[in-house]
Amino acid sequence: MKESQAYIERITRVNRDFQRLDLAVDKSLSSLRAGQALLVRRIDKDYEAEQWDPYLRELWFPVDIHASNILVIEQPARSHFTPGQLLSIIGPVGQPFRFRQKLRSILLIAYHTTPAALLMMLAPLLEREVGITLVLMGTARDYETGHLPGEIEIIQADDDLSWSDMVMTLGWADQVFVAVGPGDELEHLGDIMRVIRRRRNNIPANYVFGVLQRRLPCGVGACHACMLNLRGTQKLQCVDGPAFDLTTLRLN
Amino acid sequence: MAIEITRPGKYSLIVSTPVMPAAGTLGFADSYKGLIDYDKLGALVTNPVTIEPWNPASGTRAIPLDAGILLHTGLPNPGLRKVIGRNRKLWAKLPIPVILHLVGISVAHALQAGSMLDDVDEIAAVELGLSDGIELSDALALVEAAAKMEKPLLVRMPFYECYELAPPLAEAGADALVLTAPPRGTARDDHAGRLVSGRIYGPLIKPLVLRMVGRLRREIADEIPIIACGGIHSPQDARDYIDAGAVAVQVDTATWAQPKMLERIARDLGGWIATRHKDALLDEWNPDMGQTEAIERRAAPPEAGPDLRPGRKR
Repeated sequence: MKESQAYIERITRVNRDFQRLDLAVDKSLSSLRAGQALLVRRIDKDYEAEQWDPYLRELWFPVDIHASNILVIEQPARSHFTPGQLLSIIGPVGQPFRFRQKLRSILLIAYHTTPAALLMMLAPLLEREVGITLVLMGTARDYETGHLPGEIEIIQADDDLSWSDMVMTLGWADQVFVAVGPGDELEHLGDIMRVIRRRRNNIPANYVFGVLQRRLPCGVGACHACMLNLRGTQKLQCVDGPAFDLTTLRLN
Repeated sequence: MAIEITRPGKYSLIVSTPVMPAAGTLGFADSYKGLIDYDKLGALVTNPVTIEPWNPASGTRAIPLDAGILLHTGLPNPGLRKVIGRNRKLWAKLPIPVILHLVGISVAHALQAGSMLDDVDEIAAVELGLSDGIELSDALALVEAAAKMEKPLLVRMPFYECYELAPPLAEAGADALVLTAPPRGTARDDHAGRLVSGRIYGPLIKPLVLRMVGRLRREIADEIPIIACGGIHSPQDARDYIDAGAVAVQVDTATWAQPKMLERIARDLGGWIATRHKDALLDEWNPDMGQTEAIERRAAPPEAGPDLRPGRKR
């Protein structure tokens, strides 16, 4: 964990709603892997960051990494950024996603959030020739996907959280990652677990993971505001997360 | 620099810098290792601890406010025995004294905690947190029970009862008063669409607590030190509290937004003057800290007399 500085090298509009920022970052972040995030604070031209509104650092999940020191961040197009803008960064936050060694196919679900937290895994998994399906649920169905790699199968879920060929998709996937936004995230993960349990009787360990994006006041394991109850233990989203095995996470 | 932040007596706490984190902001030990130079702080105040384990609160725990945050964590902790077991070795390695924040629940709880903590040499002092709305009689009983510990006792006052409780508690055995716990408030969680109650943090708290510190400094005996806590976000904020009569300050959530701010405030009040080499590059992060040369502006230690090293009993 380190505090470092980054600057926005380039801004690219990818569709009507989103832009991508190329961040030139410190070398310490070049080993960042899918699942790990950054805590970001904007700083002004005088290198001061003592503007206290917004107060908390923003949680940013990179969606790609280029040339070892360029992290790509997806942000809503309505947020204003400028090339050359400086950022204060604490990171990497959290642990990388854990994939099965013999992973052949993976199911990604974004529910009431953009799939940004899941996108960094796309390039390395496609390189390993892993089949990827992305299901968009709830407000995530508004997410435009034209800029995502063509090899990914993209499905829009119905209002009842089902989709066509659901049984086959769940049976075919070696692992499932479900990203939910902040606010009622445990209830949303509970919704998904109920859907999966109706289609699959025995859910093995390390099969379905919930990816949490709660606001992190400290991000280093100090404040314990992101503590979660798991079966027999407690863990912190900022230190042990963001992905937790949904068969062990207490959802109520 | 040696600053006595508790009442002179058999058990006294002396720190090298009058700046420390507030309870709940820096974890139980070294969570901010690599981000903050602990050596520059006066002490570490731990997260709140109870005898039995406490679970985290359910629902939303943090809501951003305009220049602030509402927080409702439920004070999760694994219980005093586990906190001591897991952190004792880390505390011993820290270069600063450790103040354990004990949640004030009941007299029996305070007595039990006292008997456990008396044997823990790595804890230099105890900060007793009083709950909001506590009656004076209950607060007096709690402080009298906790004061039986063989360690300095700091008492953190509840925000709304501060004026009423501080003078009598100063007479009841508290070795220092911490003013204050953050006030409580309610805010809307836009994501979940409901109202959430919790403690309020942010720069706006400072003027409220600054007034309390000034007024209570005039009302209670000079020998009871006041440690100020509330809304400190810059070295000048901390200096304002010292001007108002506080002997030391606790910095709370500013550390989460800007970890180096705590260290910067500690350097400022600790007598550390940082100057930049004439030809040094500007440190873009902290102009007074990075590519700089620190000059220690401290008086020579006395040749003889009591051991004034931080955290030592006299």
